[in-house]
Amino acid sequence: MKSGDEELVALAQKGDRRAFEELVDRHKQKAYHIAFDFARDREDAKDLSQDAFLKAFMNLKKFDGRSGFYTWFYRILVNVCLDYKRRQKRAPSDEFDETAMKQVEPSHQPAAPIAPDQHVWVGQFSRKVDDALAALPAKQRTAFILKNHQGLSIREIAAMMETAEGTVKVHLHRAVTTLRRSLAEFA
Amino acid sequence: MAQPSHLMANPCAAFEEDLVLMHYGDLTGTELNALQAHVPGCSGCSAYLEELGKLLPLTVKTDEPSQDFWTHYNRELRAKLDDAGAKRSWGEKISELLQVRWVPVFATAAVIALALTFTIGKGIWPSKDNSPEDEAFMEVLPVAENLDFFKSMDVLDDLDLLEFLGNQSNNNA
Repeated sequence: MKSGDEELVALAQKGDRRAFEELVDRHKQKAYHIAFDFARDREDAKDLSQDAFLKAFMNLKKFDGRSGFYTWFYRILVNVCLDYKRRQKRAPSDEFDETAMKQVEPSHQPAAPIAPDQHVWVGQFSRKVDDALAALPAKQRTAFILKNHQGLSIREIAAMMETAEGTVKVHLHRAVTTLRRSLAEFA
Repeated sequence: MAQPSHLMANPCAAFEEDLVLMHYGDLTGTELNALQAHVPGCSGCSAYLEELGKLLPLTVKTDEPSQDFWTHYNRELRAKLDDAGAKRSWGEKISELLQVRWVPVFATAAVIALALTFTIGKGIWPSKDNSPEDEAFMEVLPVAENLDFFKSMDVLDDLDLLEFLGNQSNNNA
């Protein structure tokens, strides 16, 4: 937890909107990036992270400070993202989102122009990763995203997922094994 | 950039989970020491570590939105917070009314209202079960029942008269 979050939370709990907006400013980028890792779409990530802030705002009085605001808030965010994935599974779309592909490319893509065959490969790989991540069970996906994409410690992930550190390690290992198999052709 | 090779490393099953943690730098103590001693001599485990190092970073998709996006983000969120704040203030008012300290007040008021309804209200509000004709019949019914009584009384009067006439004739005789 960043220093000062406690004071801002205490002020926000007394009804100070500016204090809450300061908390939003501190955490919005990280929240957006976590939401993006789950949704892999800019608009959805924006909505999901905003929903998480709204839920936090509405439930701020229930926050008892036993865990840090950071852990409490990111737990809300992860749950919002998992709900979104569940809803998405209920209403699947086979349409390939060209705009999403153009909007965001994987981080490994070099700044210099790439050859057409490589461009195709990047697109195929990106789609395969999206599918493989979407196919992971919720807990494995959460553990993997928070570790691999966000670089959180096993302890932080366990606190957010409200589970034991050993369980997180098992989820992470299973996620990596499944992804490795799914992406074997690109290894 | 990695190109498809269709080759997968085959690590020792006993170390596979720890190798994942080692890749992320989350392995410490004796487990780390054991793995550091094992990996250099094991082609499967070292190939697996190398593969994780190449493959897993590729699964990360990054997005760095522009400043305009964040300005819009803040404006939109502020509007949502305003809406939520307005809804919450109504909710708070209602929940304040339903708080524990108000329950005895509501309960007492309900008891008083019921008592007044069953006592004072009984004579004021006419029963809706009976029609006006029924009401009139109900008023006449006790009178009709009394008619039989009066008829009986008339018979008794007749008997008294006969007795009186009988006594009179006896006296004359």
